[in-house]
Amino acid sequence: MDILLKVSSIPADTITFKNEWLWLGNLGQSFIILTFLCALASMFFYYKHEKTGEVSYRKAARTSYYLHTFGVFAIFSTLFAIIFFHRYEFYYAWRHSSNSLPVYYMISCFWEGQEGSFLLWIFWNSIIGLILMRYAKKWESPVMALLAFGQVALSSMLLGLEFQGVKIGSSPFELLRTARPDFLNIPILGSLGIENYLSIFNDGNGLNKLLQNYWMVIHPPTLFLGFALAIVPFAYSIAALSRKDDRSWLHPALIWSLACVGILGTGIIMGGFWAYESLSFGGYWAWDPVENASLLPWLIMTSAAHMVLISKNTGRHMFTSHLLVQLSFWLVLYATFLTRSGILGEASVHSFTDLGLSGQLLLFLLVFIGLSASISFKEGKSRTLFNRVIVGIFLTAIALSFVVPTDYYASFQSGLKWFGVAAFFTVLGAFIWNLFQSQKTKMEDEKLSSREFWMFLGSMFIILSLVQIFTATSIPVFNKIFGFRTAVPVARDYNAIQLWMAMPIMLLMALGQYFSYRNSNWKIWATDFGITGITSLIVTALLNLNFQIEGMHFLLFLFLAVWLALGNIAYVWRIKKLGFLGWGASISHFGFGVLLVGVLVSSVNQKVLSETQQGIQLAPEQDEKGNVDLKGMQFNRENRILYKNDPIIMGEYNVRYDKFVQGIHYDSLDKFFFVDFTNEEGESFTLVPKTQNNPKMGLLAEPSTKHYIHKDVFTHINYESGMDKKEPFSGFKTDTVRIGNTLTTNSGKCKLTPITVEKASTEKGLMLRLVLFAERLNETDTLFPQILINEQTGNLESIADQNDRLGVFASLLSFNIEDPDPAKQKISFVIQSGEKEPVRDYIVLKVVEFPWINLVWAGTIIMVFGFVFAISNRILIQRKTLA
Amino acid sequence: MKPLHIALIIIAGLGVAAVVSLYGNTTKYVSFSEAVELSQNNYSKPVHVVCQLNKSKPINYQPEVDPNHLEFWAQDSLGNESRIIYLQPKPQDLERTEKIVLTGRHKGDYFHAEAILSKCPSKYEDAPVKQHPSEIPRT
Repeated sequence: MDILLKVSSIPADTITFKNEWLWLGNLGQSFIILTFLCALASMFFYYKHEKTGEVSYRKAARTSYYLHTFGVFAIFSTLFAIIFFHRYEFYYAWRHSSNSLPVYYMISCFWEGQEGSFLLWIFWNSIIGLILMRYAKKWESPVMALLAFGQVALSSMLLGLEFQGVKIGSSPFELLRTARPDFLNIPILGSLGIENYLSIFNDGNGLNKLLQNYWMVIHPPTLFLGFALAIVPFAYSIAALSRKDDRSWLHPALIWSLACVGILGTGIIMGGFWAYESLSFGGYWAWDPVENASLLPWLIMTSAAHMVLISKNTGRHMFTSHLLVQLSFWLVLYATFLTRSGILGEASVHSFTDLGLSGQLLLFLLVFIGLSASISFKEGKSRTLFNRVIVGIFLTAIALSFVVPTDYYASFQSGLKWFGVAAFFTVLGAFIWNLFQSQKTKMEDEKLSSREFWMFLGSMFIILSLVQIFTATSIPVFNKIFGFRTAVPVARDYNAIQLWMAMPIMLLMALGQYFSYRNSNWKIWATDFGITGITSLIVTALLNLNFQIEGMHFLLFLFLAVWLALGNIAYVWRIKKLGFLGWGASISHFGFGVLLVGVLVSSVNQKVLSETQQGIQLAPEQDEKGNVDLKGMQFNRENRILYKNDPIIMGEYNVRYDKFVQGIHYDSLDKFFFVDFTNEEGESFTLVPKTQNNPKMGLLAEPSTKHYIHKDVFTHINYESGMDKKEPFSGFKTDTVRIGNTLTTNSGKCKLTPITVEKASTEKGLMLRLVLFAERLNETDTLFPQILINEQTGNLESIADQNDRLGVFASLLSFNIEDPDPAKQKISFVIQSGEKEPVRDYIVLKVVEFPWINLVWAGTIIMVFGFVFAISNRILIQRKTLA
Repeated sequence: MKPLHIALIIIAGLGVAAVVSLYGNTTKYVSFSEAVELSQNNYSKPVHVVCQLNKSKPINYQPEVDPNHLEFWAQDSLGNESRIIYLQPKPQDLERTEKIVLTGRHKGDYFHAEAILSKCPSKYEDAPVKQHPSEIPRT
């Protein structure tokens, strides 16, 4: 107690801590400040250049941006160095890495922590900025100014400053002893000297086991690149509004939004694939709020890209294009707010550490919405007035919060909240109204036979689908604002609605391309409609001979997905002379169709092979109509117990649990369970699901899947006999036996016979290992009790062995050499034996068959190719028009 | 009325319908005593209960008898206690959880959990949750 008091009474700044590489952190911190200031400078100079047109400003802006980019790379390298050299005086390294972490997973430490993931985002933005600087030409200054503004906002998340208890950013270079001052109070440091704390904290907390997976090395960067790309179309839209530019912003905005859709989509599916391969829930999509948060920007960006395409080709719907492009970026910020603020806490399986930055995140979202609203004012005067009012209100609110006495603070806060909600909707309304007014065109109505009409409709249906997901995912936010207690819907609720929402989109995707812009010939269109429709109907019927899907709504969905795929692949035939780069849209739509077929078949027809009706029966219940409800008794019995070497039938397979093998991974104990599958045709394969016992994270299980072209067999260990609490051994008795003699345990149920003895010399001395044959009823096994003759201490140390399956324990206590001639084998062994009820090795296994799940991955890959073609094609077109 | 406007009105209508039906279908976070009340009023939807494992009472999971049957006791924030039956294997590290969110219905003398979402603390900090919620089965 004395020591503790003494320790905590020493102010930390009077101690010189030993072995700290403080300079590295200071270096990193100065890079952060450099990055922040240079982004600020670059934004300012680009803004000035946009206003004045003076070339010197642009030069200054570019130089600051280069410096900014240098800063970003430098922060990145410094953070990596801290992790690489295991500098645990830095909280980030301690929290997210450990000594045993392989180098190839060190990069994953960047996205385990929030600071690192903001850094990743900044990193991508800085590269995007370099590309824009080179290729944006006349759009460089406004677009770069906005990108730099984004960088200012993002890099402020890393500043790690604190004013009057208000935190601005969280630095990845924070020290362990400032982040966790309680660590300096641990008693052992009292005797060791507090300045030597690093000799205790010489290993880190480690990287989340789930992130130690190759998919987790590439999935987050891809997703973040997609997020980062969303700022570019936004910047073009804002730039176009401020320049009162009509249509020239659309082409670059289209290219960048297509890139965003393609890359974000790939990132999302990669996450799904990772979940399927290494998580236990058996699927790739669970409608978890975190998944939805990445889906929302993708949906709206997809819709926006199509609107931009319409506007570019026809000059129509400029309002919707601007609106959706800007909403896309807002939604990226909103998604970040959702996933990083901790607001989803109870709604999601992902866990969130609130760094106390939710206020700052919300502020960014509001600032960018405010920016959009401000730019939407056509006249400079009203824009200035709007800005002044908004900033004025905001500053007043902040100032007031310091003045209001504590007794009234609660009512002040709730008043402020309602005022804020009202102000938010006013600003939103002003934005939409202004934008609508400024983009009104006097064009005659588009024809019903025009492609733009149907494409617009399709985009609106995507928004419709988005509205449902947005509302459902935002429930925790609404709860917070309005004090509701609503729970987030489960996957079933999403599926039920989204199934129908997808249908009109699919139909429009199947047929949209057959319309020409402005006007098409109905007769030709009707022929295409008829031919593709009837073909798809036939193909659907043929496919369903294999799929065996039941239920009209699923069949309708299948038909539409097939139509979507076939309609687009058939359209390639029509445009074949465009060259394959021109087929981008058709190919990615085709891929999407394939993906949807895969989604439908693999989820509707997934079969839980390990399903069973056996088990403890619960009492039947009656529903309100008096009918007996059997649901509670039947459902959810999805796991079977498999005893070792005792095969059971699951579906078409004879499934046998063969053995388990233990392996020591660098920071965990892994158990690999070998499960053999054989079907009647004699086809057989072995799956090896595993469990990991990680000292820091507890038990994790990793599934194992057999991939066929037409189906996957997915297995997952939910429990195993090793997880049981072990009964202790009892009935200990000691016998003296020679090789070949048999002893019996206390109850006489188990027999033990020494077969031979092996010798080995170790560092400590001679080790004798007895090979002991054990027999219980018809079961046999071998035990290896050992004894060490420790030369340093002169003691005998025995290392016992046990076998749970036979319920026997044996320890070699000592031995007597009765005749020194080793050939006579006259050695007697003193063996202590113990016993308990035998425990059979078993696993609790879930086996699920996913038919045609490969279509999901194949469709994704096709889609990616489509996007690559489409983007390349657009870039080529732009080059040609500029040349 | 242009066709486009008609289409937009229809889509907007569908949007409103989707949101209304979503809110009509959502469930609430309740306490165990509220869950009992709701079950007596023939409320058929599942409810969510935020609670804590009662570590002083036994966790009953005997895979040899039934690998899909887990029983334990949990306490909500108001101190109401309930017996929980979950027709799935025992989630790994259930004993270590600090907070669990149960989705299910009260039946007879127990709460039938259809899904368990558990949040585990790691040694020093809250670590991510490992257990993905078993998806509620299609009924």
